[in-house]
Amino acid sequence: MQPKKARREEILDRLEEAGGQRTGVAKTVQRQTLVPEADIFGVATFYSLLAQPEAGIRVCQGLTCQLAECEHLKSELEADGKSSVFASCLGRCDLAPAFWDPEDESQIDRAPGSPSSPDLAIDLAAPDSLAYEALHKAAEKGPDWVVGELEASGLTGRGGAGFPAHIKWQAILDQPETERYVVLNADEGEPGTFKDREVILRRPHLVIEGLAVAAQCLEARDIYAYVRGEFGRVRAALEEALQAARKAGHLDDGVTWHFVDGHGAYICGEETALLEALEGKRGMPRMKPPFPVEKGFRGKPTLIQNVESIACLAGILRRGGAWFRGLGRTEPGTKLYCLSGHVERPGVYEAPMGTTLRELLAMADGVSGTLKAFSPGGASSGFLPASSIDMPMDFGGLRAAGTMLGSAGVVVLNDTVDMVWAALTQAVFFEEESCGQCSPCRIGTQILRQALERYRDGDPGALAYVQDVAWGMGEASICGLGQAAALPLTSALKYFPEEFGLASAPGGSTTS
Amino acid sequence: MTSKRFVIIDGNELSFEEGETILQAARRAEIEIPTLCHDDRLTPAGACRICLVEVEGANLMQPACATRVSPNMVVRPPTPRVTRNRQFTLSLHLADTIQDRALAEDSNPSRLHDLAERYGTAGQWVPVDSPRPGRPSDDNPYIQFRPDRCIACSLCTRYCDQIEAVSAITLAFKGAKTTISTADERSLTETTCELCGGCIDVCPTGAMTEKAALAWGKPEMDLEKVRTTCNFCGVGCQVDLNVDRAANRVVKVTSPPPGTTVNDGNLCVKGRFANDFIHHPDRLQDPLVRNEAGELVATSWDEALDRVSKALLSVADEHGNDALAFISSSRCTGEENYLMQKLARAGFQTHNVHQCAAT
Repeated sequence: MQPKKARREEILDRLEEAGGQRTGVAKTVQRQTLVPEADIFGVATFYSLLAQPEAGIRVCQGLTCQLAECEHLKSELEADGKSSVFASCLGRCDLAPAFWDPEDESQIDRAPGSPSSPDLAIDLAAPDSLAYEALHKAAEKGPDWVVGELEASGLTGRGGAGFPAHIKWQAILDQPETERYVVLNADEGEPGTFKDREVILRRPHLVIEGLAVAAQCLEARDIYAYVRGEFGRVRAALEEALQAARKAGHLDDGVTWHFVDGHGAYICGEETALLEALEGKRGMPRMKPPFPVEKGFRGKPTLIQNVESIACLAGILRRGGAWFRGLGRTEPGTKLYCLSGHVERPGVYEAPMGTTLRELLAMADGVSGTLKAFSPGGASSGFLPASSIDMPMDFGGLRAAGTMLGSAGVVVLNDTVDMVWAALTQAVFFEEESCGQCSPCRIGTQILRQALERYRDGDPGALAYVQDVAWGMGEASICGLGQAAALPLTSALKYFPEEFGLASAPGGSTTS
Repeated sequence: MTSKRFVIIDGNELSFEEGETILQAARRAEIEIPTLCHDDRLTPAGACRICLVEVEGANLMQPACATRVSPNMVVRPPTPRVTRNRQFTLSLHLADTIQDRALAEDSNPSRLHDLAERYGTAGQWVPVDSPRPGRPSDDNPYIQFRPDRCIACSLCTRYCDQIEAVSAITLAFKGAKTTISTADERSLTETTCELCGGCIDVCPTGAMTEKAALAWGKPEMDLEKVRTTCNFCGVGCQVDLNVDRAANRVVKVTSPPPGTTVNDGNLCVKGRFANDFIHHPDRLQDPLVRNEAGELVATSWDEALDRVSKALLSVADEHGNDALAFISSSRCTGEENYLMQKLARAGFQTHNVHQCAAT
């Protein structure tokens, strides 16, 4: 139990200042913050960037980077005498095989993408604007107008859940509690996804303006931007934009902006795990309800939005919700689709919601080789076969097809890819990134990875009960990570049964 | 208005109190919902997922331990989905610990194996052999952590934090490696740990156990529990001596279950572990008095007390009452301390009386 005066929210920063987990560091941080030493050790060992402070260069072992022979890259680094470790996806799928040197201060190269057009909500290729018209318009017209425009726009959360934004905003306005927070989720970590990185690098003012609108509308006095630690100077780009906006006199001085580094945990992209991290705890998702709009950061009403969702705001308020809605094909708005893997020009392409893979591939100069399968929304979405090339890619349609749009990290696989290997690669990712809190995810991810390894190594019966395990993971895990972690395997079994020695797709339950 | 105070669980209309969970409301009505990571004294973790129930209107099953009841909530009787989840959860946990019951219960009983027998499983799955670090160099004298039996339910860490307010142990590392650790993986004796052993009592799988009992080698279920009152201080904690009848030996001490005795499931380091005096060869089992040669020899209580009273009276006669002083032991109860001061003040008219734990 920590003393009342303990300052737990400081411990992640203090651990970082101290150079990460080494013997004695927990004691030092305990003296600084009064948080029990064991708790600090528990936190330090949870986050990979703190737990392995001297690991050197991180080499990405996400699916896209595996396709680009990241193991070869790692051997090369080692041959050069540089120490390196494999890491889960680094959010640089356009640069595969990707690596990140924590000592390297240079900025990430910008990814290719769609040409500028007035019919795009974010329009990454357009020059960023310091006009802040939406913010001033929102100040003039008030919160009801803002939420009304959001509702008219039909904007849904771009982080992956696809939840209608206006419902969250209205729920916070309805709270009697006036201590409220706005949190930017820039902890982009879904393998195959690198859109939020691009938004911040190319259009940081859209993000700053969106956050300022949210704080103004919801009467929040603090804004927290939680930016992925492995993104290096991406956070700096956001801070520089804030300075410029301040200098231009756009921002209300009554709001405090906090920039927080992620410390290497995919799970902190889950909004309640992110809140735990902000509060100086192990990033283990909370049980819901209560939802963050009611009890979020410090137990107070909190708006958490993904970078892309926030970046849509300025356009919506400037040009109207109806305009945004009209941009979409099957669902409102445009969407940033990240294309990587076996494509000729990996990048971030903005297209109407409901664009098909065929159209996206045309934007990215086509498949490298012959299309076999693809993930529509990162590792969590599993795989779809080439025959789904004309399926509209939106939240509702893909959900109905048993997969998800998620963060729209589209990973393209050509016919050289072995689906057992692909499913195993994703299983390794989920096992590595499970927070370990609930048993279905912590144990289930191990079972699936081990079963796939045994199958690969020649045991034909190794997959006997994986469907039962997958069922339970989907039903009983606390958060979306565990609920989705079996999808790569079950979808590969469904669409490519012959690669698993099955004549047809396996049926459901085998439980007695 | 009254209908707002009711919830329906398994078809029974139950009243509930503000803030109550589904589990609490169900238990009051004697409706059984299995739990593995729950203890009424601790905040729910919702980690084991065996208590999931179907609530009308919710897509996902909800943890009974952590979900608060709300007016007119309907919790369905165990559906095939709920039953399947219980069996799934049990197979899953068994794959993460020692599956064979006899091996698993080499020392402490396993609630996990109890539940598996009661509810059945989804089949026996290949053990995952989680890479949970232990603390092999932890040389504390009493508590053994065995990571191969741990299911990372966090009962022990929550107990250490919320009941003892000690926070010596924590969930550490992440994912499959998630384990119970101390700061920098040190020995418990080099932490804030008070060696109360509460972590052993709350552990549902015997991952936390008594070193001495492990060395003795008989499982708890083969020992006989003898209820007695701890005599280390005046609190009056109830303890269960776990006796190996064949060897006539106290192998370990456990606490009666929470909610049944004054100590509510808790013990301190002395009550739980300081019991080796029982069988110590130097233990005094009779009063000793000195013979004429000045040697200590065993005698009867009557004779010993007689000797003491005579000696006290003779000191008082010879040197006055204030030449005497009375000190009682910290192991005495309040009543015994009262009698001691009565003896001093009323018997010998002296205020020279003290108790060794007083300041």
